[in-house]
Amino acid sequence: MRRPSALARLAGTLVAGAVSALFLYPYLWMVSGAFRSTREILSAPLRLRPDTPNFDAFRSILDAGEVPLLRAALNSLGITAASTLLAVAVTAMGAYALTRRPDAMAFRVLRAGFLLSMMYPYMLLVIPVYIVMYKLGLLGGYTGIVLFLSLGPVQFFLFEQFFRTLPPEVLEAATIDGATERQMLVRIVLPMATPVVATVATITFLLNWAQWFPVLIISATPDTYTLPVALLTLSGELGTNFQGIMALSLVTTLPPALVFLVAQRRVMGGLTEGAVKG
Amino acid sequence: MNKSLLLLFFRKEALSSFRHDAVFYLFALPFASLTLVFGLWPILLSVQVSFTASATALQPHPAWVGLGNYSAVLADPVFLASLARTLLYTVLAVTANLGFALLYALLLDSSLIGRGRTFFKLAVFLPVVTPDVAGYTVWRWLYDQSFGALNAALKLLSLPGFGGLASPATAMIAVLLAELWHHAGFYVLIFLANLALCERSLAEAAEIDGARPWQRLLHVTLPQLRPAIAVNLVYALIQFLKTFTAVVVMTKGGPAEATNFVSYAAYQLFDQSEYGQATAMATVLFAIVIVLGLGSYRLTGRAA
Repeated sequence: MRRPSALARLAGTLVAGAVSALFLYPYLWMVSGAFRSTREILSAPLRLRPDTPNFDAFRSILDAGEVPLLRAALNSLGITAASTLLAVAVTAMGAYALTRRPDAMAFRVLRAGFLLSMMYPYMLLVIPVYIVMYKLGLLGGYTGIVLFLSLGPVQFFLFEQFFRTLPPEVLEAATIDGATERQMLVRIVLPMATPVVATVATITFLLNWAQWFPVLIISATPDTYTLPVALLTLSGELGTNFQGIMALSLVTTLPPALVFLVAQRRVMGGLTEGAVKG
Repeated sequence: MNKSLLLLFFRKEALSSFRHDAVFYLFALPFASLTLVFGLWPILLSVQVSFTASATALQPHPAWVGLGNYSAVLADPVFLASLARTLLYTVLAVTANLGFALLYALLLDSSLIGRGRTFFKLAVFLPVVTPDVAGYTVWRWLYDQSFGALNAALKLLSLPGFGGLASPATAMIAVLLAELWHHAGFYVLIFLANLALCERSLAEAAEIDGARPWQRLLHVTLPQLRPAIAVNLVYALIQFLKTFTAVVVMTKGGPAEATNFVSYAAYQLFDQSEYGQATAMATVLFAIVIVLGLGSYRLTGRAA
């Protein structure tokens, strides 16, 4: 194809660069806001480099209001890790069974029911979930939060997609050798599934770290709040402690941003596949 | 064969197939339990509550009111205004997001971009994996009249100020821009994945035949992007019909109801213990999501 002129290529790069700068600017502004005093910001809202880096905000949010920062951070880590592990185990086994026996009536019903519940608007599902948690006595504890966060459509589609591509000959050979289904899953299928397990785990971590509404609804006290929920309640409470709000936003954003930058190919590939094949 | 023998035969058949599949039922048990308890039960409960009086909804023997909550919701001018607003916002947001995503993906995929393609892709995708509460919190302050960078920048360029979230006239646009920042990277990614599969030789042949760039785009590239357009359209419709977090973090439905979309209105009713009407509203929104989602899915035909 005809090669575009140098001028056209420069223009294209400039446009893409400008769009990228606009998308990244909020991050720079957030980071700078976390280290600049409120007075400094009011006098020059646009500046990114602080005159004198100021760490007051991190001290002020450590024990601001009802949620101690450390507790919220530990909650975030614990709830995200536990729900990710559970999501991977439960969805992998479920999707495996459903792809191995696609014609079993019970599994057809299960798949349809699962898809229906994933289509139901999330924030509207969470409202009746409050009633379910109440009936099960799970309100206010970690168990309810972790269990609810362990079910998601992307995870299911990625596993289902992978298990459908398993070569039937491999499974047949194993059956002839007298392997039981459990041995087959543990010794043959799971080792082959390592990459997709890693992808699903990474994506689940990113998605569940960001969850706030179910956590807020199932929590009875701020003791089980995660970082996003703490940020939401604190930004009302802190009022115009702009610096504190930016510091807490930064703490909330940093872990998933780092995980994403390290595993970007896996994450973007997995999300594309989960969306298109679903 | 008499009836009881027939029954026995079937039971035996079912039993042996069950025994054969038993291990798979065991594998699927945790998944099935979670789906049942945290997926289907809440939905059924939600539909059930929508037929009961709010005050008794959580009691063991709720008072049934038939379609009372639905007729109350559908006759409520606040809900109808909120529904109209939600539909308007959805049309604007879907158009803006998919339009931007398509143009940006076409640019990144073109020979105009040499180096930096990965960086340009990462820059718009990072907001997708940024916790939405944190992203929208930062945006709320970017729009702020005294702290915000946006108005400071406009002032620097001697442009008129932007009302942002504070003015009823601009609040919806302000929410839309913040949501575009958070979601568009995903649509860009889907378009890029589709573009990578496009047949380059077709565009080249069209160029040799003298087709102008916009003709190539319209008649060669866009038809090949049909699968990505279908997927993005369905996802974006569902996404923006349900706009919620951005409203909770940035506007609380204000100013002057300008961003009070249906999901937020339903949540407010729930918060006021109006469980019956809240779930009726939720069920209406669910019906709209299903109809529009399936409709656009049929219309664009993903098999293409």
